[in-house]
Amino acid sequence: MIVTDNQGAPILSGGGAAVRQKSGVATFLLNWAAVITLILSFLIFTALKGNEFLSGSNLVNILRGMAITTIFGIAATVTMAPDGFDMSACTLASCSSYVFVSTYLWYGLSLGMAIIAAIVATLIFYQLTMFLILVCKVPDMLATCALMFVHQGLGQWYIGGGAVSTGMSIPNGGGTPAKTVLSSGFQAIGKAPMIIYIMLACVLLAFIFLNYTKHGRFLYAMGGNKQAARLSGINVKRYRYLAGMITAVFIAIGGIVVASRASSAQVGGCDNYLMPSLAAVFVGRSVGGAEKPNALGTLVGAALVTTLENGLTVCAVQYFILPAVKGAVLALALVAAYATKKDQ
Amino acid sequence: MDKITLGTRDVSIEFPGVKALSNVNFEVTTGEIKAVVGANGAGKSTLMKVLAGANPGYTGEIYMNNEVVNLQEPAAAKKLGIQIVYQEVDTALVPTLSVAENVMLNDSVMNSKGSAFVNWQKMNREAREVLDRLHIKVDVRKLVGDLTLAQKQMVLIARAIQSACNFLILDEPTAPLSDAETDELFKLVRHLQKTENIAIIFITHRINEVLKICENYTVMRNGMIVDNSPVTPDTTTKEIVEKMLGRTFEENFPKEQVQIGEKYFEVKNLRDSEGKVDDVSIYLKRGEIVGIAGLVGAGKSEFCKTLFGAYKKAGGTVTLNGRDLKIRNPSEALKNRLALVPEERRKEGALVNENVSFNLAVACIDKFCKLSIINSSKMNNDAKSIVADIGIKTPSIKQFVRNLSGGNQQKVVVGKWLAADCDVYIFDEPTKGVDVGAKQDIFRLIYDIAKRGKGVIYASCENSEILSITDRVYVMYDGKIMAELETAKTTEDEIMNYAVGGKAVLV
Repeated sequence: MIVTDNQGAPILSGGGAAVRQKSGVATFLLNWAAVITLILSFLIFTALKGNEFLSGSNLVNILRGMAITTIFGIAATVTMAPDGFDMSACTLASCSSYVFVSTYLWYGLSLGMAIIAAIVATLIFYQLTMFLILVCKVPDMLATCALMFVHQGLGQWYIGGGAVSTGMSIPNGGGTPAKTVLSSGFQAIGKAPMIIYIMLACVLLAFIFLNYTKHGRFLYAMGGNKQAARLSGINVKRYRYLAGMITAVFIAIGGIVVASRASSAQVGGCDNYLMPSLAAVFVGRSVGGAEKPNALGTLVGAALVTTLENGLTVCAVQYFILPAVKGAVLALALVAAYATKKDQ
Repeated sequence: MDKITLGTRDVSIEFPGVKALSNVNFEVTTGEIKAVVGANGAGKSTLMKVLAGANPGYTGEIYMNNEVVNLQEPAAAKKLGIQIVYQEVDTALVPTLSVAENVMLNDSVMNSKGSAFVNWQKMNREAREVLDRLHIKVDVRKLVGDLTLAQKQMVLIARAIQSACNFLILDEPTAPLSDAETDELFKLVRHLQKTENIAIIFITHRINEVLKICENYTVMRNGMIVDNSPVTPDTTTKEIVEKMLGRTFEENFPKEQVQIGEKYFEVKNLRDSEGKVDDVSIYLKRGEIVGIAGLVGAGKSEFCKTLFGAYKKAGGTVTLNGRDLKIRNPSEALKNRLALVPEERRKEGALVNENVSFNLAVACIDKFCKLSIINSSKMNNDAKSIVADIGIKTPSIKQFVRNLSGGNQQKVVVGKWLAADCDVYIFDEPTKGVDVGAKQDIFRLIYDIAKRGKGVIYASCENSEILSITDRVYVMYDGKIMAELETAKTTEDEIMNYAVGGKAVLV
């Protein structure tokens, strides 16, 4: 698959390859390392386990498994396009899931209204992130590091320290929940095929936004050189804010999907997706020589990490070793991206 | 006290494409204060770097008391007692460490073998002693980051004196200082000369300072020493300026005649928040090219950026066609149809990681958008015609700007603003680092802009350029406009005289 956006910035193509200093073959291998590894791992797992790995149901397993990582990865991609960063994305997503399930169960909102409530709440919460970054000028990494704890504390205060699920009463003497069961629609969100459609829709939307709209191109321009972008008349603060708001929507979607999948809002249920999602973005950064966080690359990154996990599980590798594999993939991706850089 | 002489014999050095120094014979003796003056790019800093061991690969000889010495690395120069304080004081200091640690930095690196612990008492005491010797009143426990620029400079001088020092090179030390701070520094310099038997080599652009404090001066031009003279009560600014400029102009650009219209753009009493732009008022007529002359550090860039909203404005008004403009950031400047081609093109001008086509479209992207979606073929077509119009040499419009040459990157930046069709074009050192051919092309572009009835503000420290393409010129010095001159009726001498802070009476 070779995709080039019409402006020639390579999204999944080696558009700039002809002029790079590195030799053509090395560049090609580096740019496509993630995709090549993905294909290789498919071949190896198939050779080892045959249909046990390559069955339709297992492939759906992989897609389903990568969906949540991909959605959070897309959120991170949009933030990182203008050279931003969000450590608190997944703790915020946990809050989104609390709002989603609680408004649905406790206060009896319809599924659609509960989804909207979760997205709106996340957008409101994200104003705080933007306030710290844009108004108080705290560096992204530090601001969101602090907010991580704020999200955890406030979120758990809201749900009274326990999971939000059926059969539980509203904490702090809030009375009895309006609903006692989850509808099939609620649960369908987190199951195949819906979860896969949601993932693909997120990737497609982010891809179009980042590559084909002026807003997306401006975000990339900022990511490349904020000062030059500013002096070209781009309102860099407004665009950083825009990126933040879009990120918030994807974070909320991620929180909703996680809650639906778990049939409840677990305490800190999304927190552990941060590192895999960032790994997906970093692995995907160099895919096709894009050299910037990009939606399709993130999809590839998430696929690679999930496929390795799935394949190793099928091969009966103990589950607790799997994080080491994830880490190794990320480390290799980063080596590919940075080891070839010039010093200084 | 014994006198030591440091000198160079036929020292030359070449950088790719430029002969930075050719056959320089320079001499300085301990106990003297010697100025080295010259226009930008004359080779002053290069020569000083050679003496400080920071420019290995020179040819010729450097001698100390008739003995040839080898200065291939900074440590060798330091061992011989040659210390340099660079203009950028912040690069040599560690802001998060205390004054004492900074003063004693060389000492603790060189003489701390065999001891893993810091003796704070000893370090503070020794630093205190050095500062006392220089009559500098700074608390040694204070963090360097909290000091003023002048104090930082003092700390660096203290560090230089702390180790063996016979020759102290000060590279444009007064450029960032206020008048009071400059006086303070001069006091220190005289004190050093008297009590420590040190030679001070003083690089500066400000001729009145040479007259005030130096005993001898050396004039450099185009990598050569053109004059060595003592400063006498009869020495004048005018005399030194003439020596700095010489009589030869290397390049000449024919001035094109453009119809000049009515006054339409005016800046009144513009000030920035840092005092680098101090009450600047200028105006612009349609079709007019107005120069902002002045030396490096005079505040030209700061003026351009403050006008464009990139730096915070502290006061003043900007009117275009009789309308007051409110410009708080570059985005609002663009909306008000101002354009800025900034000085640092790779850092500030071009989006080097994007392709030519997007760079040319970025300031006017709405032309190519429907519901925010970019119509790429339209954008690319426009880009192609701009590339052809202004002669950007690129294999394709999809080429990344980082792969173009400096001159072509600059043309991309200019092209971006041409496409945006602005009313006022501000150029800040547009020819810096571009070759002669590209320079001609850029001048042609500027004339084209003027011919369309737009005004151009052209800030440059190259006076020959100012003289050849502008209609009128403002000369800046220390953030202020010193003079407004008709280009046709002025000379490079006159501009330089104002640029070094001279007064009108001299001419």
